Amino acid sequence: MEHNVGRLEDIPNTDALIVDIEGRPIGVFKRGDKVYAVKNLCPHKRAPLARGTVEGTMLPTACVGEFKYGMENQVVKCPWHGWEFDLETGKCLFGVSDSKIKTYPVSVRDGQVYVDV
Amino acid sequence: MNNSRMKIIDSDVHPWVNGDIEGLKPYMSKSWQMRFEGKRAILPDHPLRPPLAGATSIRRDTTPPSGGAGGSDPYFMREDHLDPHGIEYAILSSIQAGKLVSLPNTGEAITLARAFNDYFRDKWLDVDSRYRLAMCVAVHDPVEAAKEIRRIGGEQSIVAVYMPLINVLMGNRHYYPIYEAAEELGLPILIHPTGTEGAFQTSVAFAGGVPSSYIERHSCFPQIAMGNIASLLFEGVFVRFPKLKFLAAEFGFSWVPHMLWRVDQNWRQFRREVPWLEQEPSRYVLDHVRFTSQPLEEPEKDEYLIQILEMVHAERTILFSTDYPHWDTDYPETTFQRLPQAMKQRIFYDNAAELFGLNAAV
Repeated sequence: MEHNVGRLEDIPNTDALIVDIEGRPIGVFKRGDKVYAVKNLCPHKRAPLARGTVEGTMLPTACVGEFKYGMENQVVKCPWHGWEFDLETGKCLFGVSDSKIKTYPVSVRDGQVYVDV
Repeated sequence: MNNSRMKIIDSDVHPWVNGDIEGLKPYMSKSWQMRFEGKRAILPDHPLRPPLAGATSIRRDTTPPSGGAGGSDPYFMREDHLDPHGIEYAILSSIQAGKLVSLPNTGEAITLARAFNDYFRDKWLDVDSRYRLAMCVAVHDPVEAAKEIRRIGGEQSIVAVYMPLINVLMGNRHYYPIYEAAEELGLPILIHPTGTEGAFQTSVAFAGGVPSSYIERHSCFPQIAMGNIASLLFEGVFVRFPKLKFLAAEFGFSWVPHMLWRVDQNWRQFRREVPWLEQEPSRYVLDHVRFTSQPLEEPEKDEYLIQILEMVHAERTILFSTDYPHWDTDYPETTFQRLPQAMKQRIFYDNAAELFGLNAAV
């Protein structure tokens, strides 16, 4: 069921908007023209994931000593241990863990943001 | 099976050259002989000596009838060690040569490493085909060290490269020429305490400060292996040199489970610092690093040892060793007596045979 969490322009560009939908703590991130909603809970140690940061990460490189930055604005990093999750899929990156974060579909209509829970 | 009836490879045996640098002079040029003569150079001992007879780590009962230090006579070692204990191969590494890391002079270190190698090739390897040498290199100059590896490393009786360590961690690119040459020749890299740790500026430093007694410095040897394996792992040496293997000799192994778990745990949070590692770090360690058994740790309960062996995947990673002729020799008849037979076979023989490329003795 879709829930209106507010106007797009009211969602912060740096931190998350943290809301409670039907008793579920949810963080809504806006980065560029993308909006993501995730459960505010890291599966590792139950940290408040929405207090983390959204950025890119270092992609796997075959060559020792080489760094390749990518996935800009697509990776949420937990504020505690720094575990990284793909906001598109919820998966922990690059096989570090099988655990996933809970993601929710988001739609934006007429400047309003809806999270489907 | 009784251990005395098993085929055994002893992966940590220490030969000795009587006379220190003087004994090596026939294996260096006249010019270098005079250079060492002119400065009265020696391979120095650590000032924190073992509180044993003669303040040496060499057992008195290994002194050959011909005189000289224990471990200095290949014929007596054969009679005193190989024959009575059924040693099919003995991997010789010279801890005396390891002391060359106390010398800040690169030219001297290169000359001595080469002289040690030629001494053992000349005096030991033809005496008995059971003797196999971990050739020594001076890591001060890795390009010269690589030349030395290519000079003699293809010989059948040379089965490893012993790298006495300076105070630069092993993952550093400084060492790449050595790793390239060793990998090219299919030789594993052997590390071992040099006995100079913490006593000389070029030698490896102990973590935290300077020990004040032999018991203290001897207890801290595992630190050195732990730091260097972490360096090899995270600096990507196992990725850069996928065929290269390492043997950590006489550093113990009961700390290895802790390290395996800790590197994996840290990788989950800090993977982006080392994006060249594509699988759990512990897997690289288990694939690339081996450990010798001596001095076998003695946990509070016997079953703990079995559990630790399982944790370190001993059937792949642990190699039996005696450390003859040193004070803390572990003999096969009194070591690992209660292990499952399949694990014994791996530890006493198969793991070493695979690492050193050894088949059954002819």
